[in-house]
Amino acid sequence: MYQSQNGTDAPYIRIANISRQYGQVRALHDLSIDIDKHEFIAILGPSGSGKSTLLRLIAGLDRPTAGRIFFDGADVTDLPPHKRGIGMVFQEFLLFPHRTVRENLAFPLRMTKQPPKMILERLDWAESILSLNGLMDRYPNQLSGGQQQRVALGRGLVTHPTLLLLDEPLANLDRELRNEMEVEIRRYQKQLGIPFVYVTHNQEEALSMSDRVAVINGGKLEALGERQLIYDHPPTPFVARFVGKSTRFDGAFDAASKRVDLQRYNYSFPYEEVAERKGNARVEVFVKNERFELLPSRSGGAGIPCTVADVVLRGPFVEYILETEADERIIAVQPKREEPLALGTKLSLSWNPSQCHVFPAGR
Amino acid sequence: MSEAENRLNRRLFLHIPTVFLVIFFVLPLIALVVLSFWQTENYKIVREWTAMNYVTLATEPAYFIFFIRSLFMAIFVSVFSVVVSWPIAFFIVRYGGRYKLILSLLLAVPFLSGEVLRLIALQGMLGPTGLVNGVLLKLGAAPLRFIMYSNSATFIALVYLYLPMVVTTVYLSLLNFDFRLASAASACGANRFRIFSEIVWPLNLSGTIVGFLLCFIPTLSAALAPRFLGGPNGVLYGMSIAQQFGESGTWALGAAMGVVLFLFSMLVLGVFSLGIDLRRTGFTGMGRQ
Repeated sequence: MYQSQNGTDAPYIRIANISRQYGQVRALHDLSIDIDKHEFIAILGPSGSGKSTLLRLIAGLDRPTAGRIFFDGADVTDLPPHKRGIGMVFQEFLLFPHRTVRENLAFPLRMTKQPPKMILERLDWAESILSLNGLMDRYPNQLSGGQQQRVALGRGLVTHPTLLLLDEPLANLDRELRNEMEVEIRRYQKQLGIPFVYVTHNQEEALSMSDRVAVINGGKLEALGERQLIYDHPPTPFVARFVGKSTRFDGAFDAASKRVDLQRYNYSFPYEEVAERKGNARVEVFVKNERFELLPSRSGGAGIPCTVADVVLRGPFVEYILETEADERIIAVQPKREEPLALGTKLSLSWNPSQCHVFPAGR
Repeated sequence: MSEAENRLNRRLFLHIPTVFLVIFFVLPLIALVVLSFWQTENYKIVREWTAMNYVTLATEPAYFIFFIRSLFMAIFVSVFSVVVSWPIAFFIVRYGGRYKLILSLLLAVPFLSGEVLRLIALQGMLGPTGLVNGVLLKLGAAPLRFIMYSNSATFIALVYLYLPMVVTTVYLSLLNFDFRLASAASACGANRFRIFSEIVWPLNLSGTIVGFLLCFIPTLSAALAPRFLGGPNGVLYGMSIAQQFGESGTWALGAAMGVVLFLFSMLVLGVFSLGIDLRRTGFTGMGRQ
C-alpha cells in the first residue's frame, strides 16, 4: 500500500461509493475502486456500461450524483479538471488542430505555468521517449494515426501528472499498430511509475496491458482483480462471457452424483463446487476456447462428438470450427501442430472439469 | 458517361453560371469603371476621358468625411455585432438542445419583411415622438436626444439589420466545432478563460471573420439606414453615392465613388481572408456530440 502524504495508509487514488444519474438513467451505481501508485488498471466493459462516465468523473469533466473521489488523500470531488493534475488521452486523440505538435505538447505545461526552461526540457523528453523526431513542427492533420496517438499520449504525460486517464486510446488504430502501442504504453507506465487508468471495451487490450482489471456492467462493478485471476477464475457469468473467448453450455447439477450433465449432449463431468443452491440445479457452464481437449472419436472416452467444419490458421494457433450433433458451432483453439486436422475429421470434445466455470443458471 | 453527355454537363455547370456572372456582374462593373472616367453635365453624360471625378473625391473634404464616417460606422457596427453574436450563438449551440434549429430559424424572422419596412418601424421606435421618447416624455423625463436622427440611431438600425447574419455565421461555426476539444484542454489544465482564448476562439476565428465581413461590407455601403435615421450629420458614403445617382444627377462622380468603395472592400476582403484557414478549424470530422 502506498504511504500518502498525510501519513495515513490510504490508497493513492480512492473512488468511494460513486454514483452518477442522468435523469432517470443510472450510468453508475455505488462503485468503489482503490488504485495504487504504480498500478496499471484497466476498466473493461461493453459500450454503455458506464466506463467512460467513470473516467469523466475521475477527470472532473463530470460530477458524481453521490460518492467522493480522493487523490493522494485529498478530496477532489468538487475540483474542476484543471485543478486535479491529471493527464488524459482520448479515443479521437483530440489534438488541437491549429497548433503544431510542439505547441500541442507544450500546452499543458503552459497551462500549469511551468518555467520556460522546464517546458523545453519536457518537450525534449517527450520528443525522445515518444520518438517524435522531425515531427515537432507539423500540424496534427499532417500526421498518421499512430503519430497522432503518440502526440496525444505525450500531451497527457508531459506534466508528469498524478495519474493518466486513457479513454479507448487504441480504438482508432489498426491491429498491427495497436499491438505495438500496447507494449509502448505499458513501458511508459512502468517508466513513470504513475497509475494509468485505461478504459476499453476490448478484453484483449485489458488483459495484455494492465495489472488489474475492473469489469463494469450496467453501471456496476462486476469484478475487480488481478488480470490472471479475472481470466482464470471469473466470479460471475458476465465476466466469464466477456473476458476471454469461451463457449457456453446449459447443464444440470446432480447433487447425488456430484456431476454436471449437459442438456443437449450426452456428456457429464464431476463437479464439487455448486454451493449456492442445495440439491439439483440448472447451471451454465463456460469453457475457454483454448481449454478444449480434442481426441479422435474412436478413442472410446466420453466426450461430445463433433466434426471439423473449418480450420482457421492464426499464426502459432489453430482455430477449429467444430460442428456438433446438436447443430451448434464450437470454436476450439489449439497450438499449431505440423499437420492440422483435416476437414471432416470426427472428434470427441471434452475438458478438464477443473478448467471450466459453472454458475447457477437464471441469475 | 459518354463524351457528348460529359460536354453537355460541363456546359450546364460551368458555362451557364459564367455567362450569368459576366452579364450581371462583370459587365456592369466595367460600365461603372468606364463611367467613372467620364463626366456628367446638366444630367447628361459627356463621353470625354478624364480623371476629374477622382480628383474631386481626393480634394473635396466632404467625401473624405463621409468615407471615414462610414468606415468607423462599419467597424463599430461589425465589432459590436460580433461581440453580441458570440454569447447568443454559444447559448443556442450549447443549451439549445432540440430547439436549436427553431432558435436559429428565429434569427431569420426579421428578414421576412423588407428593409425599408424595418427602418420605418425603427423610426417609429427611436424618433422624437417615437415609442422610447414618447414614454419618457409621458413620464416627465427628458427624451434621449442621441437616438433622434443621429449617427447613434443609424448604428442601432445597422446592428438590427445585420446582427442576424453575424449570429447565424458564428452559430454555424460553433455548431461544427468539436466541443470535446474544450474537454481536452480542460484535462490539460486550462481554466475557462484559457479554454476560450486558446482553443474555442482561435478555432472559430474563420467563421467569426466571415460573419464580421458579412456585416462590415454591407454596412460600409449602407444607404437606406442613414437616410431614414441619420439626421443632418449622418450622411454616410453609401447614402452619398445614392444621392449622386438620384437628386444631384452626378452619375460619373457616383460611379467613381462606387469604384473606390469596391476597391476598398476588395482590399478588406483580401486582408481578412488571410486569416481564414479551414484546415485549422475545430471540425475534426468525427461527428459532434
